[in-house]
Amino acid sequence: MGLFDWLKQGSDPEIQAAKEASARRQADIQQSLRSGHVPADIATRLEGARSGQQPWIATLTPAELLVARSHGLKPIAAISATCWLHYGWSWTQGHAQGWHAALQRLRAEARACGANAVVDVKMRSIAVQIENSMDFTLVGTAVKLDGLPPSDEPIVATVPALEFVKLLDADIVPCGIAIGAHYEWMTDWRNNANMTWMGNIESRQLSQLWETVRKQAHLHLRQNAGDQGNGVLAHVNFSQMFEREVEKQPKQYLARHIVVATVVDVPVAYGSRRYRALNDGELHSKPLAQEFKMVVDIHAGRTPLTGTTRHHQAYYSNDEDGAI
Amino acid sequence: MSSQIPAHAQERLKGLRSSAHSTGVFTSDFSVNEFLLVRKAGFEPIGLCVGTCVYHVGIQYGSWKKNEELQVLSKAMYHARELAMSRMRAEAQAMNADGIVGVKLTIKRLEWDENLLEFIAIGTGVVHGDGHKGFRAHDGGPFTSDLSGQDFWSLLHSGYRPVEMVMGSCVYHVAHRGMFAAMGSAGQNVELENFTSAMYEAREIAIERMQHEASAAKAEGVVGVDIHEGSHGWQTHVIEFFAIGTAVLPLDQEIAPDKIADPIMVLSVND
Repeated sequence: MGLFDWLKQGSDPEIQAAKEASARRQADIQQSLRSGHVPADIATRLEGARSGQQPWIATLTPAELLVARSHGLKPIAAISATCWLHYGWSWTQGHAQGWHAALQRLRAEARACGANAVVDVKMRSIAVQIENSMDFTLVGTAVKLDGLPPSDEPIVATVPALEFVKLLDADIVPCGIAIGAHYEWMTDWRNNANMTWMGNIESRQLSQLWETVRKQAHLHLRQNAGDQGNGVLAHVNFSQMFEREVEKQPKQYLARHIVVATVVDVPVAYGSRRYRALNDGELHSKPLAQEFKMVVDIHAGRTPLTGTTRHHQAYYSNDEDGAI
Repeated sequence: MSSQIPAHAQERLKGLRSSAHSTGVFTSDFSVNEFLLVRKAGFEPIGLCVGTCVYHVGIQYGSWKKNEELQVLSKAMYHARELAMSRMRAEAQAMNADGIVGVKLTIKRLEWDENLLEFIAIGTGVVHGDGHKGFRAHDGGPFTSDLSGQDFWSLLHSGYRPVEMVMGSCVYHVAHRGMFAAMGSAGQNVELENFTSAMYEAREIAIERMQHEASAAKAEGVVGVDIHEGSHGWQTHVIEFFAIGTAVLPLDQEIAPDKIADPIMVLSVND
């Protein structure tokens, strides 16, 4: 575009109209998110997908479509949610806050398209560094199960569709994301953590600090998970410790720990006292329904059948120079 | 240029295997497993199809304090990809392929000029072994798909066929925050609503564009969708949202649904 075109751009009625439409769209997005609703344009798209007027959109792989067929799982739409948070008070706590907000918004989009569940939910963050802030983004595929009416509280599963039905077959429902996050500062008044001249000895202050921080983080994780299901598969354990030195002041240490987990709902543990009480003291063990067989995996390299690690990429970015 | 294939490319295409030229050589970038599965699905590879486009991306600045789509950049990214893809498809058409499997679409920045981007589309042209034409895209040309050979086989066995690789792009400028706004929220955790809404708008534009392409290709759905963000050497506040996937249609006759085997669930022991 030449300079002349560029200068002219402001007065072009088409561009002007596009700018106004964009301004309206953004005002609506902000207003809707504040009140916990799905923004109008997105709601229209989701309605189109729900009624079948628009093509469905799925992040599922072709092999997963096959499972979808065998288990009556129908993809509806690719949905997403974002909360861009500025952490002026606490980076650590911000992670719990940010993911929680994004999760609520994702559930709202899932409701808007009449889904029973959202599968293949990936946690993401853009690699743009802007003033102590980070975006918490969730992307997944809203699905419905044949014969079920739309759910009021669609479940959010961080596992891909294949693993989702694998868990369902075993009577386990992956139903949400739980976060446990805690940080603490410790001031080393007596300089005990400085052990330069000592031999083999535990640094008790620092051990203690870690112990406290991790226990608190796991406590939050349990509380957060308890509202959604009765167990977690904790895929991300992230911790950091820093030393801060200020002149003429005792050293300070900061420790932080963040746990991110897939929440599952498991029928009351087999063999637990509660379960035995329910079953006249008789212990029913219920193994997986599938038979076990040796198979040759046809996938070269990465396969959708193994591992969930790449689906939890919140702590790296998916942005690589050279990718599409 | 997109419809005219250079003479040396035509020479290369003539040397490929076809019904008229059974002693020709086929070329493909398939792995062993991919090769076997594409054949198992009833297709034969005939030749690599390539499309390239070196594009000079125009300049556009977002206004400092505003969230907005950078239309010039959006159009450039879209147009250049389209050119590379259509050139690749023209090659496939010239070799009379029914479709292109395993399309890899990549972007490279050229070192000497930050505004020059190189777009490359490459994939393997395939034909149906029994000569079914039912796999062609809605316009009678070859289908395109970024699915690997394995995924191609899986897709056919899930009762679907690929129609077209669809995509949507939106290059977006995320507004800068004023200094007073930054000071106001110094000691607290607050949502930056402006940034959140920028993400929402940009992503929505990209998805809608992709969905529009899928509708135009008369597809039933889009599989293997990836929505991702990237920056191709622009300023820090400029992000490209890119949605890509393969539009699919149910198979009508080629593989009857009752022939489709139930999948076997696998619990992997080498997770």
